[in-house]
Amino acid sequence: MGTIDVDGLTKDYGEVLGADDLTFTVEEGEIFGFLGPNGAGKTTTIRLLLGLLEPTAGTARVLGADIRDERALIGAKSRIGYLPADLGFEEKSTGERVLEYFGSIQGDSRREELLELFTPPLDREIREYSSGNKQMLALVQAFMHDPDLVIMDEPTSGLDPLKQERLLEFLRDERDRGTTIFFSSHVLSEVRRVCDRVGILREGRLVALEDVEALLDRGGKQVRLRLAERASEFEPIKGATDVETTGRSVTFTYTGEYNALLSHLASYDVVDVEIDEPSLETIFMHYYGATDDGGQAATTEGDVAGGGPNDEIDEAGNRPLSEETDA
Amino acid sequence: MLEIARYEAERRLRGTVALAVGIGVLSLVFLAFFPSFGDADLEGLVEAYPPAFQEAFGIQAIGTIEGFLAIEVYQFVWLLLLGLYVAYAAASSIAGDVEHDRMDLVLSLPVSRGRVVGETFAALVVPVLALNVIVPIAVYGGILAIGESISVVDLAMVHLLSIPYLLACTAIGLMLSVMVTRASVASRLAIATVFVLFLIESITASTDGYEWIGSISPTHYYDPTAILVEGTYNLEGAVILLVATGVLVALARALFARGDIGS
Repeated sequence: MGTIDVDGLTKDYGEVLGADDLTFTVEEGEIFGFLGPNGAGKTTTIRLLLGLLEPTAGTARVLGADIRDERALIGAKSRIGYLPADLGFEEKSTGERVLEYFGSIQGDSRREELLELFTPPLDREIREYSSGNKQMLALVQAFMHDPDLVIMDEPTSGLDPLKQERLLEFLRDERDRGTTIFFSSHVLSEVRRVCDRVGILREGRLVALEDVEALLDRGGKQVRLRLAERASEFEPIKGATDVETTGRSVTFTYTGEYNALLSHLASYDVVDVEIDEPSLETIFMHYYGATDDGGQAATTEGDVAGGGPNDEIDEAGNRPLSEETDA
Repeated sequence: MLEIARYEAERRLRGTVALAVGIGVLSLVFLAFFPSFGDADLEGLVEAYPPAFQEAFGIQAIGTIEGFLAIEVYQFVWLLLLGLYVAYAAASSIAGDVEHDRMDLVLSLPVSRGRVVGETFAALVVPVLALNVIVPIAVYGGILAIGESISVVDLAMVHLLSIPYLLACTAIGLMLSVMVTRASVASRLAIATVFVLFLIESITASTDGYEWIGSISPTHYYDPTAILVEGTYNLEGAVILLVATGVLVALARALFARGDIGS
């Protein structure tokens, strides 16, 4: 039995299915990436797991507790940390008071240790907080009772790159201590860097469940070339797909070995080259074929059917998926 | 236990203090007018009100300090305005927490939904109790200051017996708070409900054969004029209000315990 066992979990909002017959397992001690565009049903799934929504069909067990059994789930919740996408802290409370409040109910044995890593201005009122400070407060809150499972919804949103890096490193350390982490995100690059396995959600359905490496290999790498000569001279290498040439630029998706690519490029006069991980869009394309549907799902945020009313665009939504690249 | 109630009460602390000061000052202002009021043609004034209005506010006794207080402060400010306010505040409690995503965080803690409702109600009781301690002191001080006197027991009773009434109004707001997802809508509905109940009771009280309809209103069970002017206490009414409060809170807990949060 896994830390989270989802079995046929379905949430019907009437007009749309927020979660459509989801079945997957999150194993103990792994970081499980839950990836999908905004509106795919990630938040709906998380709220189902926390007993905030009642499933229309199916169920899930979280730390052994059936999510439909409030009493059992309450028992489990003392071992769960939750970092929501929309942080509902009382604006007029100070950070200190908020931690004291949550600590008084769930415990706060690791509070001081976490406050060395994440540094929200505790003596100020929440309404003065930047989104990054709120996020850090939420991170301390989510981990301070030393939970066995932490469910995180867009955890890096609002954090600057340095803090994001610190968080990802922290999560890897937590995983090594045995904490299970459910990491929901629409940003492939961070999921790729920290998660062991990933489930991809689209319109409420789980469309892929794989090791991160396998997923990336299958998606291929995005190669962008600028040549000194006309790009029409460029001979596509084996393993390149979706080759597009305009003027002196070539872009393609490459699924082969780096070495083969580099020796192939050596025969050209290359001005510039970029090799990126695939965008979420490309991976979707892979799973659905090159349909307009898939492309739209990845680029038109918030417009995607399948999300529930709670799947609003969050701060992280400022970063469109199509521009998502790994620095 | 009671961590949620404590935190929620604390959130309302500033509002509670402001309200206590506001009502205290308002009562003193009313009282300051009383001496000059005594010279006016009160009978003519009373006659000028329509009978239903006389009934609603118990206007006949306005010439005495007890009657004046009962009408200006207790019928109007306490029974009507404060009743509306506590219902309004209660209605925005749970609904507001859900609307502003606070509820998701609270319910991610090892607490039941019923406990959240119960402790939220407990937090709403605090301002009711606090007002009933602070305001009578201000009122009594004001009465002495204008050189009048009043039965301390009656003054204490008008406040003590208002607690079940205000709790019933709070419970009405709490019920709406778990039934309606938008806090602003819940609050407006709560005001409308308490006001309509007040009107129904006022109107039917002077309509032969229809008095029983008024018994659905909390105002039917708390009569500040009877307490201050006649010195009669409706203890049975207070018990009925407390029972109704208990039933409404239990219903609110049961309603909130099922279904989706915030959709």
